Amino acid sequence: MSLSWAWLFLLLATFPWLLGVDLLSDSVATSGVCLFISGAAIIAPCRRLRRWQAVLFSGCVGFLFESLRPIPDGSLALLLVLAAIYLTSHRDEIRDMPKMFWAAVLVNGLACTTWFIAAGLAHLKEVPLLSMHFLGQWLLHLLLATILAVLLLVPLALVQNFAMDKIGVPQPDEAA
Amino acid sequence: MDNNRQGAKASYVALVFFTGLWLILPSAVRRFNREAFAEFQAPALHLVGKGRDLARYWELQSRSPEELVAAARDLARINAALELKIHSLDDARKENTRLREMLRYPQSTEFVTVVARVSVRETSSWWQRIIIRKGRSDGVRPGCPVVFGDRVIGRVSVVHLTTSEVDLVTSPGFRCTAFLEGDDQSRIVHVSGRAGLALSAPRAMVSIIPLDYNPPAGQIAKVMTTGLGGVFPSGLTLGTLEAGVQTTSEKHMQTGALTPAKELSFIQEVSVLIPKYPTAGEILLTPADAGKPEEFR
Repeated sequence: MSLSWAWLFLLLATFPWLLGVDLLSDSVATSGVCLFISGAAIIAPCRRLRRWQAVLFSGCVGFLFESLRPIPDGSLALLLVLAAIYLTSHRDEIRDMPKMFWAAVLVNGLACTTWFIAAGLAHLKEVPLLSMHFLGQWLLHLLLATILAVLLLVPLALVQNFAMDKIGVPQPDEAA
Repeated sequence: MDNNRQGAKASYVALVFFTGLWLILPSAVRRFNREAFAEFQAPALHLVGKGRDLARYWELQSRSPEELVAAARDLARINAALELKIHSLDDARKENTRLREMLRYPQSTEFVTVVARVSVRETSSWWQRIIIRKGRSDGVRPGCPVVFGDRVIGRVSVVHLTTSEVDLVTSPGFRCTAFLEGDDQSRIVHVSGRAGLALSAPRAMVSIIPLDYNPPAGQIAKVMTTGLGGVFPSGLTLGTLEAGVQTTSEKHMQTGALTPAKELSFIQEVSVLIPKYPTAGEILLTPADAGKPEEFR
């Protein structure tokens, strides 16, 4: 199997998780919260994929989330690409599990903040950015994104690592 | 600094360049990108919807024959009553058509109904929407009204090949004119969705309510579509006006909250009303004469 397409196969392996979180959001639709895991989904691939592959993977994960929601085009995808570039050039910061947890929490929280603010910019007339309503909603979404990142990182990374092993992606120590 | 980190600088520069390019690209490119990723997810959404249908099917299979017989008997009674109603409505429709022809009154918009199952519900502070399993290939167009019975659910906002995104009545992008029950002068009010609070039921807002309007005593006032604008047929129920209508700061109008007519978060099936002919807005947006039916040329 060609390693050039590793990012695509990995995306296919990750997609059910993204869909699963969407279904979880569906099941709590009455509460008006959107659950989010896309930020945490790029952590394990960034340890092993080459940079350009990690960038493509992260961009696609971002675009997948944006495509079915009224979020300004590219806002989340470009943020995830930026995170992927940073993580692939600082692989020592996601070397072990505790560091991966930190990275997952930070990237997922940052990505959640990005889409929340980007989507909220369209409603500035009714909800000012610096209002209690906005801050409360943002904190709630951020909290949920953080909790989900912590809860789902291990199973998600296990599946992604399994997929990368099958594809033949080199181990973190060997990755460029 | 190792080679890996040095290479990152070039990547950051490339990202900045790409971001700039992304901002100045024609919107068609961004739309194509969005559409491509939506289509990528469409089969999975269909699968999810069909899985739910299958679960419902097996749930119904587990019901006892007595229950099913009772349900069939009830349905037969309802069908009989509805058949009588259809006959009376058919007479009224013929009479209506005859009178319109006599008065040379413009025909009201006619709709084709497409029933669609709900795949996924999406809610957040900034949007309340559902994704339905009918799309462009079924004739669904952006802006089509979405109803359940005589109750308004929302409006189609984005259409993909086999799926569509529907903005619910409570979604901030939703706008509609309405009449209030109990207002003898049939004055027009404005219904709009609003950014919702998480962990609470989403609501829409009814604005420009006249100061002298009083809801019918002992009843909850219904909010109904006007039919103006040609998007929604008239007389559909948008919801009910909640108690506690407030006067605006300028003291010349009132505003109130609207509770949607149908529990939007649990809905499983909707009907999309597709206008038989292009609406006025669609005709205005269509370049040149392309796509207009003969009678509009």
